[in-house]
Amino acid sequence: MARHHAVARPSAARSGHWVVRAALLACGIAVCAIWWSNTNAATLRTPGDAATAVGRVAGLVGAYLVLVQLMLLARLPWLERAVGLDRLAGWHRGLGTNVVILLCVHVLLVVIGVGLTDQDTPWSAVWEVLTTYPDIWLAVSGMALFLAVAITSGRALRARLSYEVWYWVHVLAYVGIALTFFHQISAGADFVVDPTARALWITMYCVVAACVLCWRVALPARRWMRHALTVERVVRETPDTVSIWLRGHALRELDAEPGQFFLWRFVTVGHLWTAHPYSLSAPATDRRMRITVKAAGDHSRMLAHLRRGVPVFAEGPFGHFTASARTRRAVLLIAGGSGIGPVRALAERLLAGGGDVELLYRASSWQDVALRTELDRMPGLRVRYLVGRRAELGFDPLDRRGLHKIAPDIAHRDVFVCGPAGMTAAVQGALRELGVPRTQIHTEEFSLR
Amino acid sequence: MNPTLTRLRRTGGLAALLAGVGVVVALKATGAAPATHPVALPNAAPPPSHTAAPASSSAAGAPAGGAAPTTSAAPSQKTVDGDVSQTPYGPVQVELVMTGSRIVDVRALQLPSDASRSRRLAQIAAPTLRSEVLSVQSAQIDTVSGATYTSQGYAESVQYALDHA
Repeated sequence: MARHHAVARPSAARSGHWVVRAALLACGIAVCAIWWSNTNAATLRTPGDAATAVGRVAGLVGAYLVLVQLMLLARLPWLERAVGLDRLAGWHRGLGTNVVILLCVHVLLVVIGVGLTDQDTPWSAVWEVLTTYPDIWLAVSGMALFLAVAITSGRALRARLSYEVWYWVHVLAYVGIALTFFHQISAGADFVVDPTARALWITMYCVVAACVLCWRVALPARRWMRHALTVERVVRETPDTVSIWLRGHALRELDAEPGQFFLWRFVTVGHLWTAHPYSLSAPATDRRMRITVKAAGDHSRMLAHLRRGVPVFAEGPFGHFTASARTRRAVLLIAGGSGIGPVRALAERLLAGGGDVELLYRASSWQDVALRTELDRMPGLRVRYLVGRRAELGFDPLDRRGLHKIAPDIAHRDVFVCGPAGMTAAVQGALRELGVPRTQIHTEEFSLR
Repeated sequence: MNPTLTRLRRTGGLAALLAGVGVVVALKATGAAPATHPVALPNAAPPPSHTAAPASSSAAGAPAGGAAPTTSAAPSQKTVDGDVSQTPYGPVQVELVMTGSRIVDVRALQLPSDASRSRRLAQIAAPTLRSEVLSVQSAQIDTVSGATYTSQGYAESVQYALDHA
């Protein structure tokens, strides 16, 4: 299920991510300090004590990182500005499995520690833990949910499961967090003996919960009431691509730049429970927005059947694939597949800024070319359609030679690329070979999973 | 990005995470060497006092724990009972033997005994807790891992006894 949404990365501009990394690391160290200050080194002498200690620290750090995972995708505006939702999603993905492995280490070492201290067999150690630790059954259930999330997000399964199944298992992580919280407070040695640590820990959970409630529930709901966004009409652009026009009030207040995307949630059967990222395919006006979506999965296929008047929740705008990333007068836009949506919107904005704007539109057949009339009519835009499968053409029009032939001065242009992951990566490689500086290449995909 | 590089970074991240956790504990453990050891015999010159307050029902539980060195009856020695501190695993109560303001012995009157694990843990923890109290001469003791609630109850009972000595 490819969801291609380019989000430019003006790498120099977004150095804020280092600040965020440092802050996250500092908080992690603070969490270890809680354990440090409550532990007497003399109590770490036996192997059983050592195993328990490592297990405890793993548990503390693991629990902290689970909350970090939530915060990364809590849509905090300043976090999104400093790091970018695309990179945040990347961190979330990269960290996910590691956090669950760390929690497994916690479980294993605590059991091993009990076994070594009591000179038990492994099974009776498990039994001891399950029968003597407070709130342990809640924690075990929560851990099972975390494992389910990790497994369904692993590369092996992710490709096979539908977005909806993956999404719903993912939501269970919230339940897992709630379930595991109790054993931390009642069985976590640091929080039993140290009231300050306990207060801090509970505060940390409250802050995260407040952030999630505020930015993922309250604000979207308020915005929904303010803008009253609904589906106005659905237009078929190609056999498998539709445009959806949305109507609402005071949409300018959203400050949506062409090239940005929202997370859309259509309030109707089959759509309500999942949010999907789609880019605007035309500059937003005060009353209207448009997205253009190629059928790639269950959800995008069903979009063709949306009825007029269906209410729409929108989270966003997100992304940095905008005209503000431009550094040169001459611009080359490269679109493939549904990447044409944001590129079409961006082209209009770039043209308004003046200068030379050229668009390469890669499609496997003429039938798949969407929005052609609009593109051809856009004043000042030079459009070049690169149509045909590579096997039929006998060459790749977007490789190094192809790009050089089309734009010999490419090293002096800004290049915006948006398309399927494979295409984007290949074009990026070719651009680097042609000597286009990294700061002039604006490309990236966004996908929530 | 290069897929092998991505994979390398990912496993590298996990390794760093686990190593970090291990290093924190290892650092703490290496700091162990010179630290706590049972300390000091009581000094002479104890100020005479005689408020041997039997605070609460001292009898009850079996005096488990390994604290049983007979204290030679110094002239001004007194025993002070701590209160019974309830833990999820059972009551904890200690008795302090004091010479003046100095704690010379701690005896566990009651320790958690509701389950076999609690009993075993208490037996492991009690000597450690006792020597900690003797060493720091206060209730500000570290918890024994695996016996968090017992340690806390122990400290509370010691504190109560000190407050009422």
